[in-house]
Amino acid sequence: MKLKNFAAASIVTMMAAMPALAETTIKIAGFGASSGVVGIFGQNSSAAMQAAVEKINSEGGVTLANGSKAMLETEYYDDRCNAEEGISVLRRIATTNAAIAVGPTCSNVAEPLFGILQAKVDDAGDTGLQFPIFTDVAIKGGLAGISEWVFRNTPSEATMYDDLFAWLRATYPDTKTIFGGVEEDFAHSRFTWYSVMKAAAEKHGFEVVGEGQWLLNDTNFSNQARAMRRAEPDIIAISAHPFTTCGMLREMDRQKISPKVLVGLTSSSSLETLTGCANEAEGLIIPTSFAPVNDAAKYAADAVAAKGGALDLHSAAAWENFMILRDVINAAGIEGTAESLQSDRRKIRDALGALDTVEGLLGTNKRLPDGEAVKPYVFVGAKDGGWAVVHNPGS
Amino acid sequence: MEFYLGLLQILGVHTLLGLSAYVVLLTGQVSMAQAGFYAVGAYVAAMCTAMFGIHILPAVIIASVSTGILAMIVGFPALRVRGLMLVVATLAFGEMVRMFFFNFRWQIERDGKLIGPNGAEGFRAIRFFPENGWETGDVALFIWCIVVIVLGLLWWVDNTRAGAVLRAVGHDEVAAQSVGLNLTTIKVAAMALGGAIAGIGGGLYAHTVTHIEHGVFGILLATFAIAYPILGGLGSVFGTLLAVIFIQGFLVEGLRFIGDWRSLLFGALILLVMNLRPTGLLGERMSPLKTLFSRKSPVVTNAKETQ
Amino acid sequence: MDYYFFIDLIQSLVDGLLFGTTYALIGIGFTLIFGVMRKLNLAYGAAALAGTYVGLAAAFVTPLPPILVFFVSALGSGIIGYIVYLGCFRYTPSSHPMAALLASVGMLLFIDELVIHLSHGMPYPYPSVLRNAEITLGEIWIRGDMLFVFGICVLAMVILYWLLYRTSLGLATRAVSQQPRAAQLCGIPTGQVNALTFVISGVLGGTAGAMTAAAVGVLSPIIAMSLTTKGLIVVVIGGLGSIPGAIIGGLMVGAAENVFQLLRGVTERDIYVMLLLFIFLTLRPGGLFGNTEGRD
Repeated sequence: MKLKNFAAASIVTMMAAMPALAETTIKIAGFGASSGVVGIFGQNSSAAMQAAVEKINSEGGVTLANGSKAMLETEYYDDRCNAEEGISVLRRIATTNAAIAVGPTCSNVAEPLFGILQAKVDDAGDTGLQFPIFTDVAIKGGLAGISEWVFRNTPSEATMYDDLFAWLRATYPDTKTIFGGVEEDFAHSRFTWYSVMKAAAEKHGFEVVGEGQWLLNDTNFSNQARAMRRAEPDIIAISAHPFTTCGMLREMDRQKISPKVLVGLTSSSSLETLTGCANEAEGLIIPTSFAPVNDAAKYAADAVAAKGGALDLHSAAAWENFMILRDVINAAGIEGTAESLQSDRRKIRDALGALDTVEGLLGTNKRLPDGEAVKPYVFVGAKDGGWAVVHNPGS
Repeated sequence: MEFYLGLLQILGVHTLLGLSAYVVLLTGQVSMAQAGFYAVGAYVAAMCTAMFGIHILPAVIIASVSTGILAMIVGFPALRVRGLMLVVATLAFGEMVRMFFFNFRWQIERDGKLIGPNGAEGFRAIRFFPENGWETGDVALFIWCIVVIVLGLLWWVDNTRAGAVLRAVGHDEVAAQSVGLNLTTIKVAAMALGGAIAGIGGGLYAHTVTHIEHGVFGILLATFAIAYPILGGLGSVFGTLLAVIFIQGFLVEGLRFIGDWRSLLFGALILLVMNLRPTGLLGERMSPLKTLFSRKSPVVTNAKETQ
Repeated sequence: MDYYFFIDLIQSLVDGLLFGTTYALIGIGFTLIFGVMRKLNLAYGAAALAGTYVGLAAAFVTPLPPILVFFVSALGSGIIGYIVYLGCFRYTPSSHPMAALLASVGMLLFIDELVIHLSHGMPYPYPSVLRNAEITLGEIWIRGDMLFVFGICVLAMVILYWLLYRTSLGLATRAVSQQPRAAQLCGIPTGQVNALTFVISGVLGGTAGAMTAAAVGVLSPIIAMSLTTKGLIVVVIGGLGSIPGAIIGGLMVGAAENVFQLLRGVTERDIYVMLLLFIFLTLRPGGLFGNTEGRD
């Protein structure tokens, strides 16, 4: 059984590689976690990348410096959300003919990975790897600043939550207090509560009346929910990933805690939360950088679904990255030969760094000098087992 | 090339982790604390270079000495228990260390940036190698010099009376005690040696990945530490080396091209190997007691066996 | 404030004890295998989790009442327990306990990844009963569904006791656990008894997995590792091979965890639990009810 699959897999890989030899191709590698507990993220990103490449190639591919056309190709590497593997994968990608890599999934891979890159371009004293990365998923704040070779197309949580709480202040004028629940041992969720949500809430005049902490694989939330019940907050913010978000929501339901507003973590605005606990999540409001609100977004969502993935805020970034990279490659004038590989990478990096704005699925994305992005966003709410847009600041 | 040199770094670091468990396993003890020592080594060495600007070599030595001492202190109470009880006692210690670093925060300012362990967010910018002009190959060479020294040292110890003593304790404690061996001293010594080696491994690990956080040093890493020597066989240090190459080189990197199936095959292949070769890839050394009781020098007998 | 603190303490204790019953079940499964075969099965938690998913999968195919989902989960875990036995213990020589140990690690990684592969790592809702029922004693709340979990766990333990001490099968099991060689000489098929032990402990594990999932209401592959660790801890506290020990150990761990969480917060909770465990083990190497040998 296994051998068969193995043989089948290798044949498929070989067949897929065949036509690529026929003409000039530019490779954009994808990497991240496509197996393990968070594997679904990588699988979605991988599907989005394939769909994006198909679209770009059907529209004629990219233009090289000499005016000729080249097709794009992509391959996805699995790092299992492990730092060492992520570094190894990147080194492997750097030895292939890939011009740039899109990834990784996990912030705990991104942080060490960016550390092995050259911190400042043209710093001869720094022997870090010189390879451009355009991150789609790893979202923990402030990571792109680690190296000048890193760019991210992840939403700026600081901006989104700041606006969310401003909107809440205006929409629910009688809400005064907020209680925060945080998944303490996950870098992203922890950072988002203490450095983003809490600050934003306080800035807009909400009083933080308590905090409850739990760990990634906790199963008992009764203590935290009891503290919530006593504090009687108007707003409850849960900065956690789907599994514990659902566990906590269930416990709140059990203890009959019903705040006026429920706020969730960006990463939880995915299918997982709804699969896990659609009933309890009803009304949960989350800012997200993707929702199928316009034709381009709907088209992308369908194209990715045809590849067996789901388009959510993470995989939408992978799709956007490829679209942005098409324009960047066209503008950078790369040669696309084996000899020009290193200078092509440098050209792509510089062209990415020179961008001020790019077009994303929801509108114009602002690019910041440190490699981060400020993306348009919408506020979605869980409604009848789906995500519905409750407010669109851009419209 | 860059990729293979990077892979060599990983292999070297994991070999040290495996060897640290190997020493303890020789005395018949399964220690799940190696990931804890590895973590302490990583944080200590990283603090030395990133926060206080010490060179990597003394930093690793400091890390190694401190984990060795820590392992000795832990060894005394922990080695009162045996077998499964020891597995859990050491596991408890390993988790304690991990949770300590989860809460540990100590940052100082260097070049306008805050540097140091920052609790759950980890310890970033441990960039001694790139900042000092070390190429990937230089790092790999440095790591392998250390690995070869440790391997050689352990191989030598293994083939002297000390090795026979360790194995005797592992084979039959009562018999070993009855010929006048002091069990506690021997076990604690093995624990300290294992701890020191794990400290070196951890110190190097922190510098190859530039960012460490508590989550890395969990039970899974501790399991891998004991998996290397068991999978390779307790016959000699080369078993551990082979197992590291098998797991990190073949199962992790070699099978990457098969995509998602790789993770499924990973566990299944370990399972298969243990069913086909229960004594490990290279097998184990036979009858350590004979060497201890025989009149000939144990060195000679052992040398014959390994040939 | 003091009044609230007192109430909280009691409430935490009650919640912890109720949750502790699932730990106790996992612990009994571990200790049963250990008692009979003198071997450690690290794939146990993963097998329990996989069994729980079997129940969930059955509920996807045809709508089942929660009780049947639990039952299928337990059954599924029993079957997986048998597969674990075949894969890790049947063909590895008993003279090399390390081989079986590492084989079970391989099995753990394999089962875990298989579950993730099939479920895409998504959390799924898991049915529970008496979800919104509760008993209030003054300020103290007792969750109805947790009481149900408690009841199921107690029932499972009673059945196990009956099986072990009132049936010829149990006699054979105990004989193999005390003197495998002698049992074999008396005509007891030790291979079958060993296999059966794995099935029974698998059923217990599946029940524990199902009850944990029912208590949270959501099932995710993320909990496999913590099931294994908790089970191990419970076993050594209770004493190897001791069923009453595992029960008391489970309740103690559940209570200690919850009380430390209240007193010291979630980030330090596990430090104190592990520290207590470490001290306990070094002071009383045999556990509560074990012999002081700590043999393996």
